Amino acid sequence: MKELEKTKRISIAAVIFILAVIIGLLTYKRPKNTYAINTKSTLEKITIENYIVALNELKNPEYVLIDIRNQYDFEKGHLENAINIYAAEILSADNIKVFKELEISNKTAVLYGNNPQEANAPFLILYQLGYDNIKLLAIENSYLQNKLITQNSEIEKSEADVSAFINESIKKANTTPVVKVVAAPPKKVITIEKKKKAPAEGGC
Amino acid sequence: MVKKKIAKVLAFRYTILAVILILLAGGLVLLPKYQKHEGIKPEELLSNTISSERYMTTDRLAHILINQDPSFILIDVRDEKSFVNYTLPNAINIPLKNLFNEENIGYLNQNQYDVVLFSNDHFYADQAWILCNRLGYKNMRVLKGGINEWYATIINPLKPADNMPATDFDLYATRKAASMFFGVVYPEQFKVEAPKIVKEAPKKVITIEKKKKAPAEGGC
Repeated sequence: MKELEKTKRISIAAVIFILAVIIGLLTYKRPKNTYAINTKSTLEKITIENYIVALNELKNPEYVLIDIRNQYDFEKGHLENAINIYAAEILSADNIKVFKELEISNKTAVLYGNNPQEANAPFLILYQLGYDNIKLLAIENSYLQNKLITQNSEIEKSEADVSAFINESIKKANTTPVVKVVAAPPKKVITIEKKKKAPAEGGC
Repeated sequence: MVKKKIAKVLAFRYTILAVILILLAGGLVLLPKYQKHEGIKPEELLSNTISSERYMTTDRLAHILINQDPSFILIDVRDEKSFVNYTLPNAINIPLKNLFNEENIGYLNQNQYDVVLFSNDHFYADQAWILCNRLGYKNMRVLKGGINEWYATIINPLKPADNMPATDFDLYATRKAASMFFGVVYPEQFKVEAPKIVKEAPKKVITIEKKKKAPAEGGC
């Protein structure tokens, strides 16, 4: 009798335990996207690896172009054979699938936007998610009469030597100013000779 | 004989089960933190990076520097060579690759100051910002356009053409004044000091009227 009571209690406990485990498993939501590398190793990777592609390297058959601008810009003009994935939707299930397929088929996704800075954020986020087949196209897009013009753009290029400019301006200012005093040409004075009144001559 | 042995083991069955469960639970606590997933969710990070509120314009930064606002820290993420050549006043150099060195975390992970990151354009600064944002660091900003934009707008502002609106001229005047604050000298600053040509006051000519000779009067 006593033994029976003990087993009853144990079976109730076991049922509750199993239920708790099942509920836990059912309610656990696996996050869709998880990082594959932490920030420190990301930093190491982006400072060592070369992920920049220039315009003339695009002939490589392994590259698949991805335009991260919005649909309007994309339809207005885009590079040949580019796929449009807007930057804000890059993590949606459909788009992640695209990247996964590219990874499986050993192709490299080359992201571009209106300038390299624009493509930087989507690139870096995908990079942290563990996609190693992502590169960044260093170009600048602009429009002339509704036609897309694409130019190479050098990332982090120093456009001007600021300290040299400041020194130059100081030098210029110091060597200055022998101010020439331009003497105004003397005014020509045109004298009009007045006819002298003839002195009144006395006469009779 | 065998049955007896099994019965002996079975007598401890509940204790054995309990011990296994407790060991498993203990293992959960000791599991190492899953380092790879550190930081905010990727979706959240994406929406943070899409918004452009992190950008600070060069004009605003010039205003802050001129007013010597003490609540801002400037961080130059370029390499040391460029830092030595030119940097913004009072900036600290943390090259991008050293961003997460221990001695630098103190500048980034705090909520007393606003941190402004900058580089030549804003590519590297953005990368630094994204990584810091993932870790949840607060009050980070990026100088839009970086040093190049700083040069083009503040140090060497473009003079507006004659047909441009008055606001452009106002902006130009402000920027030019700012550039003087940051060390640029304009030649016209000196023109003011050029010696003025003092015109000699014209001599007063005092004419003494001569008595007129009486005209010769004719008389007989």
